[in-house]
Amino acid sequence: MIPTEALLLVAGLLFSIGTLGFLIRRNLIIVLASVELMLNAANLTFLAGSRIHGGPDGLLNVEGPIFALFVILVAACEAAIGLALVIAFYRQRQTVDLEAATELKG
Amino acid sequence: MVNLLFYALAAVAVACAVGVVAVRSPMQSVLNLLGSFVCLSVIYLLMGFQFMAAVQILVYAGAIMVLFLFVVMLLNLTDDGERKSAFLELFDARVIAAFAAFFGLVGVAIAIAGQTASQLATPGMVPDGGFDEIEALAIVLFSKYMLPFEAASLLLLATMVGVMLLAKRERPGRRETDQLGMDVQGGQS
Repeated sequence: MIPTEALLLVAGLLFSIGTLGFLIRRNLIIVLASVELMLNAANLTFLAGSRIHGGPDGLLNVEGPIFALFVILVAACEAAIGLALVIAFYRQRQTVDLEAATELKG
Repeated sequence: MVNLLFYALAAVAVACAVGVVAVRSPMQSVLNLLGSFVCLSVIYLLMGFQFMAAVQILVYAGAIMVLFLFVVMLLNLTDDGERKSAFLELFDARVIAAFAAFFGLVGVAIAIAGQTASQLATPGMVPDGGFDEIEALAIVLFSKYMLPFEAASLLLLATMVGVMLLAKRERPGRRETDQLGMDVQGGQS
């Protein structure tokens, strides 16, 4: 059996790499990809947790996979909306650089 | 054997994740992301989550990856104009924030794992249908989590409408008047 510590370590690594990419990259597409990485890390954590906690009366505990399913669903929606926004942004500015997003004086 | 395979896959998954962040070209970045997803899927399989491994491949490596690749190819990004030495500024506040988040997360993870290691019911045992046997999953999903499931369908519908609205190309002047110059918004029914 794969040790839970190792799984959580991998999830932590993936999440922090995703955070790093989200914070330091300026390409909108790569920023979205970093968010996907972070969601994947969360999924791995859900599954690792679900594996070590059995349900009541020795039944399977399937809440972890269910939550992971919902996370995947939200990730798909987020990717679709985010990429549509990227296309709309590109149409207006001819770039996908985050630095060009200055409309709100951020 | 399983553990050895897991460590190899985990190393590749993390390396691919680093590739996503570090590579300059968006195309290579997205392909690195694909590699990371596939490695994670096999890790799910090794953990005993067979259904989740399939979903990971179908939804992530299939649907989401196609979306990303479509957009990268559609926009035809040759040079993203990003500065070359993004990683030279290693002591940027944002980098320090990311490292702090990492160490905090790992600390919490190790603490929790140490606490729960004693609760392992039958170590080394994976049920026949995996930990996420589809029948058990469906029973819980369609009873206890019925409401979130329905809400998810609403979310998908809203996403669909929103994406169409966002990605639709606006034709100048088309919206206010039709060919005869009549006000469409005014409602000539």
